Amino acid sequence: MNNNVDMTPLQNVVPLHWPSGPIEIARREKTEGFNTLIRRTLERWHEPAALEIAKDTPVDCIVMSWAAGLPVDAEQQRTAGPLLEAARRRNLAVVGWVDGTADHHAAIAAASKAGLAAVAIRGFKGSADLPVIAWSERANVPWDLAAPAVAITGNVWPGVSLASNAGDASSGPTSLPWLDSNSWYIQMARARLKAPLWVMFDPPGKGAVVPARSYARAICDSEAAGGRWVISLDDNLRAELAAGTAAAQESWRQITAAAGFFKEHAEWKSYRSLGLVGVISDFSGGNFELSGEILNLMARRDLLFRVVWKSQATGQLFRGLKALVYADAGPPDRALRRKIADFVEQGGLLVTGPNWGTEGKPEPPDFQTQFDVHAVGKGRVAVARKEITDPYQVAVDTQFLLSHRNDLVKIYNSASSGCTRFTASPDGKTALLQCLSYADRGRGGLRTIWVRQRYRSTRLWTIGAQPVPLDPEASEEYVGVEYHMPANAPQSYFALEFAA
Amino acid sequence: MSMNRREFMAGFGAAGLAMVQPARMRATAPTAPVAIARCKSYGAEFLAATGKMFDQLGGMGRLVKGKTVTLKINLTGGETIRQDYLPQGRTFWTHPRTVAGVIHLLDKAGARRIRVVEGAWMWPASLEEFMLKAGWDPNLLLRAAPRVELINTNMPHKGNKPYTRFPVPHGGHLFPAYDLSTAYAESDVLVSMNKIKEHATAGVTLSIKNLFGITPTTIYGNKVPIDEPAPIPYGGRSDIGHAGSRQPPKSSPAEKDATTPRQGGYRIPRIIADLAAAVPVSLAILDGIETIAGAELPRGESTKAISPGVLVAGTNPVTTDAVAMAVMGFDPMADRGKAPFETCDNTLRLAQELGVGTRDLGQIEVTGAPIKDVRFNFREHGGPRQSWPPGRRPSA
Repeated sequence: MNNNVDMTPLQNVVPLHWPSGPIEIARREKTEGFNTLIRRTLERWHEPAALEIAKDTPVDCIVMSWAAGLPVDAEQQRTAGPLLEAARRRNLAVVGWVDGTADHHAAIAAASKAGLAAVAIRGFKGSADLPVIAWSERANVPWDLAAPAVAITGNVWPGVSLASNAGDASSGPTSLPWLDSNSWYIQMARARLKAPLWVMFDPPGKGAVVPARSYARAICDSEAAGGRWVISLDDNLRAELAAGTAAAQESWRQITAAAGFFKEHAEWKSYRSLGLVGVISDFSGGNFELSGEILNLMARRDLLFRVVWKSQATGQLFRGLKALVYADAGPPDRALRRKIADFVEQGGLLVTGPNWGTEGKPEPPDFQTQFDVHAVGKGRVAVARKEITDPYQVAVDTQFLLSHRNDLVKIYNSASSGCTRFTASPDGKTALLQCLSYADRGRGGLRTIWVRQRYRSTRLWTIGAQPVPLDPEASEEYVGVEYHMPANAPQSYFALEFAA
Repeated sequence: MSMNRREFMAGFGAAGLAMVQPARMRATAPTAPVAIARCKSYGAEFLAATGKMFDQLGGMGRLVKGKTVTLKINLTGGETIRQDYLPQGRTFWTHPRTVAGVIHLLDKAGARRIRVVEGAWMWPASLEEFMLKAGWDPNLLLRAAPRVELINTNMPHKGNKPYTRFPVPHGGHLFPAYDLSTAYAESDVLVSMNKIKEHATAGVTLSIKNLFGITPTTIYGNKVPIDEPAPIPYGGRSDIGHAGSRQPPKSSPAEKDATTPRQGGYRIPRIIADLAAAVPVSLAILDGIETIAGAELPRGESTKAISPGVLVAGTNPVTTDAVAMAVMGFDPMADRGKAPFETCDNTLRLAQELGVGTRDLGQIEVTGAPIKDVRFNFREHGGPRQSWPPGRRPSA
């Protein structure tokens, strides 16, 4: 599909979800809490004047409902005319979202006629005369489809989970607060996709007032992992933006500042993970559930990983990896098994399920683990005693089997950190450490970043500020160097850019 | 022993003093000399100062020769917490170079085997891994002498007997006995090494407070099973230790009286005193070269890094702690309501009642630098004091 269509315009756009018009009203009317303010806001956002919020911001694309198989589809498209014309004058690309039982070809034809930049359709396999973004739920992505962008639904709102305990941060298995993040999934998808990855999720519902810092966190969570969130504003903020309140405009300024920061650093998305643990999987069916959750929990523990799709594994070099995790239910094919075995022979660690079999000399670890460890060649194989069902234990045990002696990065005094990304440019001349905090309130302490390697120079990047050179401090008690974050550096996100 | 009626009723129940306390009341509290040294740094100066203090205490050979020596260090809280930018060893943890230095000195004095132990909060793996995560180089300790081991006593001890029961002499204040890692039973000489610092719940952290960390979080930690110890730690010690909101697993002794106050300021000092009586400390080494004022670990504006430049050591933990309190500008005879025990009972008094040692400075011989010359008033530093709300303490 899209054989003769220019797909480049969507490469680095900043898309904003643009709920407006009859389709959105028809949908929302059936939902709890719908009121006249929401209706009025959806109407106002269907008017050209609403686009004024995009002025002087990095937002250069809006994503609006185009066809849903509803009786109001035609009205949506007809009444969108003035909005589309205004968008064209402002150089805003418009993507039409197609879902429900809408006729794909009719929707595409109407979009093409109306001058949309693209449409987003789930499961479209035909040809079209304008770009068709493939949208899909997480578990059913058409990985090999050629598309100008892939939009994934079913994601989470990033933050410390408040799902239980009466407003107290809920705890994971180790009493650590549970973090909701899309980082692992985006990293997994980015390892497979060539097209830009759009991450779709909405703010918490039920009329919640979402602070600007939460929006910024949502942007950082996606961008640091290599994805792009289709910015989606809550009802209150959209209403207040339409009304032009100062508070809403300040929130919007902060949101777009975060979006602009990453738009200006688009090259960071090409950086590769420096993680020492490769997680091999086909990430489908039950393997997606298990290995995906292993990635999620590794990210939460800041165990830096590299995603290795099974279909690509034999063609990849395992250079730089110290451990591999293979938790898929089925065995690897002969070539991949040989490649993994070679990795172990040369000193690597393999963490895998019971089907791998046992060989080598027993080498019991010094902590309680679900794995039997054997020395094989220069390396080790950790084989689960029974079928792997607990991804958390895989993440924990892998980290201990690998040992913190191999840590590349440590972060001191970071509040509810996790999903730290440490990547390097394709030429290896630049390394990038991106640190996020998922807590709304930090511990408040001064943060220290320890890195194993000494670099030629280092710059601190924060959103909305010029980069600041940072000098390393000698690490008193261990190898490596430390960087002292300035007291005014934000807790929520910062990046250290190292020149090798 | 002074005790008001409220403490009597709250602490010992209707059974009354005559039934519960006679043995404790009879316990005599020994004394032992305490050495003080000025010391500004953790290198050769520390080694020389500590060696001199050991000599002033009668030499270490008589204490450790041919023995298994266990160094209980203090790595409280999470492994990635710092006071400002400073490494933990310079503020609220035992400094790794003091551990290495003491290992070296005790090895020279003839120790047969030296074990460095800590119940590293809810860490489910080796102590070595905890140290690595925290930025320590374990080899600094492992290579300080032959036959050095690192043991996380939160985990079941290797071998057939993971835990050993330690009855509290004279019946104990809160628990009649504690189930601890068998590493402590295999020890001939227990050395308590930690910072001189305050404590939000117990007033001060000194050598006997350091013992709170010997309670394994597989038994005394949050989220442990009802019947048996957990295979690995799942949380800190706040539920059973501080709040008293539940009992240890049924396999371990329950509290003597579950009607006593469910308050950290009542419970923690008693647990500490119990442990000090059940697991005798033979050598206390307190580091006030660099430390923290305001609490036992970084607490925002409440805590400040300080450099008192002093070491205190002794062979009786209570006498040593009493002298250290005096160095901190506190009165070791102070009771609840008076600094630093504004919201808690005096741990030293409770330990003295169990016969561990005297806190009466008039009965303690001080060698080396005089107290008045090294006094460093902790309350002139640090920020506003904060107590941990029940059940919300982030570490233990």
